[in-house]
Amino acid sequence: MKFAPLVENEILKLLKRRRFRVALLILVALNGLIVFAQTQAKDRRPGRDWRIEAQERVARMQNWERSGRLPKTQLRWVRFEIARVQYHLDRNVNPDAVSGPLFARAFANASSYLLLPLLAILFAADIVSSEFAQGTIKLLLTRPVGRARVLSSKFAALVAAITLTVALGGLVAYLFGGLAFGYRGWGAPVLAGFRLSGETFDAAGVRSLPLWEDALLAFGLAWFAALTVGAIAFLTSVVLRSTAAAMGTMLAALIAGTILPRVAPSWEAQRYLFVTNLPLPDYYSGSPPPITGMTLPFSVVVLTIWAVAAAGVAYAVFLRRDVLA
Amino acid sequence: MKVVLSARALTKRFGKREVVSDVSFDLVKGEVFGFLGPNGAGKTTTIRMLTGLARPDRGEIRIAGFDIARDFSKAMSRVGCIVESTDLYPYLTGRENLLHFARMLPNGAESRIPELARLVALESRLDERVATYSLGMRQRLGLAQALLGAPDLLILDEPANGLDPAGIREIRELIRHLASDRGIAVFVSSHLLAEVEQMCDRVAIIHRGRTLAMGPVRELLTKRGADRLIFFARPVARAAEILKTFARDGAARVDGDENVSAEVPREAVPEALAALGSADVRVFGVERQSSTLEELFLEVTGGETV
Repeated sequence: MKFAPLVENEILKLLKRRRFRVALLILVALNGLIVFAQTQAKDRRPGRDWRIEAQERVARMQNWERSGRLPKTQLRWVRFEIARVQYHLDRNVNPDAVSGPLFARAFANASSYLLLPLLAILFAADIVSSEFAQGTIKLLLTRPVGRARVLSSKFAALVAAITLTVALGGLVAYLFGGLAFGYRGWGAPVLAGFRLSGETFDAAGVRSLPLWEDALLAFGLAWFAALTVGAIAFLTSVVLRSTAAAMGTMLAALIAGTILPRVAPSWEAQRYLFVTNLPLPDYYSGSPPPITGMTLPFSVVVLTIWAVAAAGVAYAVFLRRDVLA
Repeated sequence: MKVVLSARALTKRFGKREVVSDVSFDLVKGEVFGFLGPNGAGKTTTIRMLTGLARPDRGEIRIAGFDIARDFSKAMSRVGCIVESTDLYPYLTGRENLLHFARMLPNGAESRIPELARLVALESRLDERVATYSLGMRQRLGLAQALLGAPDLLILDEPANGLDPAGIREIRELIRHLASDRGIAVFVSSHLLAEVEQMCDRVAIIHRGRTLAMGPVRELLTKRGADRLIFFARPVARAAEILKTFARDGAARVDGDENVSAEVPREAVPEALAALGSADVRVFGVERQSSTLEELFLEVTGGETV
């Protein structure tokens, strides 16, 4: 019994449902909206030198820093940002350049901790539970195909769907961004690898690379984060056997993940939660980590452990449990 | 006769409660086997075990000789099932549904789709989404799905559920055809007695997880008391007096003013009629009232209704 036809089945079922079209629609609508909003903002100050803009911003942030009214977490971010912009100014690279490719690149960062995980949940939360809800699980598991293979084919289809979604997200961002800011600029230099060592800005690891390479890396990281969320949502789908329950659980986790570092930045243990580790592209492009001391490799390892553990438990439960409902 | 399905001492517990206790049966090629019981008797749990959806706590199931616990795929490649209402994918067309399940079978299942669509009379609607199908059409599509792998055994859970009389009749004829013309063994669970009586060669009656009776339908019915005869005769009182002496249990029941019924054995009927004649009882007619599966069912389950 070959494996490919099983994956074909699962992909077919994912694509034929309304939720895939909804996901595409969300990507198009969101990108369109952001591009529109940005063109509105850009039009207000046409033709100014980016160097002056950047210098003004550094001055503004230095004022905040000196005012002493900023909370500690924000202070950390402001110091980092001042150093980063100054670093760009010193090397004559525009930190706020706008182009279609740059917009697409920015999409990787912006979507990695909420939008892409959300879409991954949309697919994964339903992939096993919908078979229970429709009763088709009874047909699926009474065919001459072992349960492990059935579940694997679903997992493979999920990986395919998430990959497709991340790729389409980038493509849509590029198309819309290009429409507003021009389609050229994949070769522009990008400075990446800023770090915050303790409380100080660390430029030792900074390197310049062409935008397309930088964008590929960022999208790869966003894809990996979305995949981890997909694996965990897959587990909730297997265990809870209800799409609504699985979706609710995962959404609550995501929301908690965006709130926790803000309201409780001193709680160290949250670095081991998967949600805290999701903004991988942010790290890579140089924002300070959500919790001091977290690094990109650390987050990748944490996410990998979560994904593997989730998939393992999902298999164990799915293989053993009696189907009675 | 070739045994297609064999269940040995199946037992399943949910917590401390034993829902199926020591159930055994064999199905041979070309036979329709009815599995009869009230709701909650353990029918569904038994079917879940036969189809590998649930694991028995004790006992063994073999399909075409393969133990389903050890050779799951080999065993299941010989089976087609409808486990409780035929739920297929409503957002796919009939053909897409069949293709989906054909892909889960060894090569060649796809080529059977046109023939099966004809068999279940769905050719003209095959490319419409299942969401637009009537219940009867879904049930027939489910049956086509079950037949995709050219199985030796069909396991059908309540195939007549929710169908109108015409639909029930169609399914019944289809099942009889599959058993007698194609030699498929069919396991049918049902709580509809009339249904099972008309369709099945053998039945097992299950109640509270135990098999209470099992055997060919005819045999089970005749074993339980002789057939009852109704005599239309006047005067009834005298007729009843005479029939009592011939009845197996020494009793005759009077209903109305010319209606007496008694369990008179077949060999004794001519003598009984002669005796009635010589006692000046005028007999207008005699009718045989066969006992039904329903009566048998009430008897073995102790009067619990279905």
